[in-house]
Amino acid sequence: MADAAVRKRGFTRRTFLGWWIGSLMTATIVTALPPLLVFLWPAPPKGQRKGPLTIALDTPMDQITDGQAVKFSAPTSPNSAFIMADGGGGNAAGDLAFGGFVVKNQGKINVFAINCSHLGCSIALNESAKTFDCPCHGSRFHLDGTVLRGPAPAPLSHLTWKQGSDAKTIQVDGLTLGF
Amino acid sequence: MAIPHPREIQMAVVNWLDERYPFTKAVDESLYQRVPNFANAFYYCFGGMVFILVAIQLLTGVFLSFYYVPDAGTPGNSPAYNSVLFIQNTQYLGWLIRGSHFWGANILIIMVLIHMSRVYWTGSYRAPRELNWIVGVIMLLCILALSLTGYLLPWDTKAYFATEVTIRIGGLTPPAQLGAFIRDVLQGGPVVGPPTLQRFFTIHVFLLPGLIVLLMYIHFRFIRAHGISEPL
Repeated sequence: MADAAVRKRGFTRRTFLGWWIGSLMTATIVTALPPLLVFLWPAPPKGQRKGPLTIALDTPMDQITDGQAVKFSAPTSPNSAFIMADGGGGNAAGDLAFGGFVVKNQGKINVFAINCSHLGCSIALNESAKTFDCPCHGSRFHLDGTVLRGPAPAPLSHLTWKQGSDAKTIQVDGLTLGF
Repeated sequence: MAIPHPREIQMAVVNWLDERYPFTKAVDESLYQRVPNFANAFYYCFGGMVFILVAIQLLTGVFLSFYYVPDAGTPGNSPAYNSVLFIQNTQYLGWLIRGSHFWGANILIIMVLIHMSRVYWTGSYRAPRELNWIVGVIMLLCILALSLTGYLLPWDTKAYFATEVTIRIGGLTPPAQLGAFIRDVLQGGPVVGPPTLQRFFTIHVFLLPGLIVLLMYIHFRFIRAHGISEPL
């Protein structure tokens, strides 16, 4: 019965104040939430910058024979990574890679990022079969980067590179991570 | 002065406490509940086993955190990895604490699935207990998230690439921009690296354990409110 009495009184000063305070609290929370969500999104660290990374190859460029693949890694002091030039599957242009392969196949040189196009594990050279094998889920790639066996859905990603000052070095587009 | 009987000391202490807060009543109400005959079966114990396993995880987790260092360091010199080696090989009983945490986590998931199967089998999810099923499913997701985040913490090759794979799966969420956002937020940067370890550590050690303890409390309050479900 008390409820009915309150309801009958309709819109009172107390109702107004209740809605007023409720709206203020809602507005406060709604205003505070977006910046907190942005806080979760990492800002690039101070030392982070793009630029070509100079890589010394184990085998000079002019001595790589047909069907040979030379592995190289991104510098670790400071920590750096290569930037993929193209993508497909789990890789996308602009994604980062911590290593790569220089491959000579039928006279053509390719530089691939080390990440499998399935879910990004590091592929390894299978010397006897002349393929790149992924240890995680068994994908295999031809030396030209195309898929020999799934689950990888797309060819390997390329890295943007140019010859360095001598045959032993190459310049690969990369990112100094800043951490 | 006569030496008081231990029973008298006990009564004095309990009475002193009870005059200030009804502890006896609270303990009686929470512990001395009659279990219905139909619930006197081993398959009604799986939930309790899950609870005990979670308690073991919390306890061994706190012990591990005394020695674990959540710092990825630099390639070839990782305090996180070294601290796990220290726990495993050097610290007294470290192998046991870490082994319990590892195997407890594995058994926990199995027990959770068995517990859920029992709830499904006996139809205990039906009205009015749907909310408790929902809370339970959220706890299942919490436990899976705990497993995922905990897997990275040793910071070895297996941990690294397992996390690379799982974050990539999250990153495949359509549309591509949302996937990239999820990946960046989980990774804490453009790659799986030291910021990822930091994030996963915080989620594993602070966020999810707090959440799961809260949800377990709600879960048990629901059970008390509804009573144990009758068999079909």
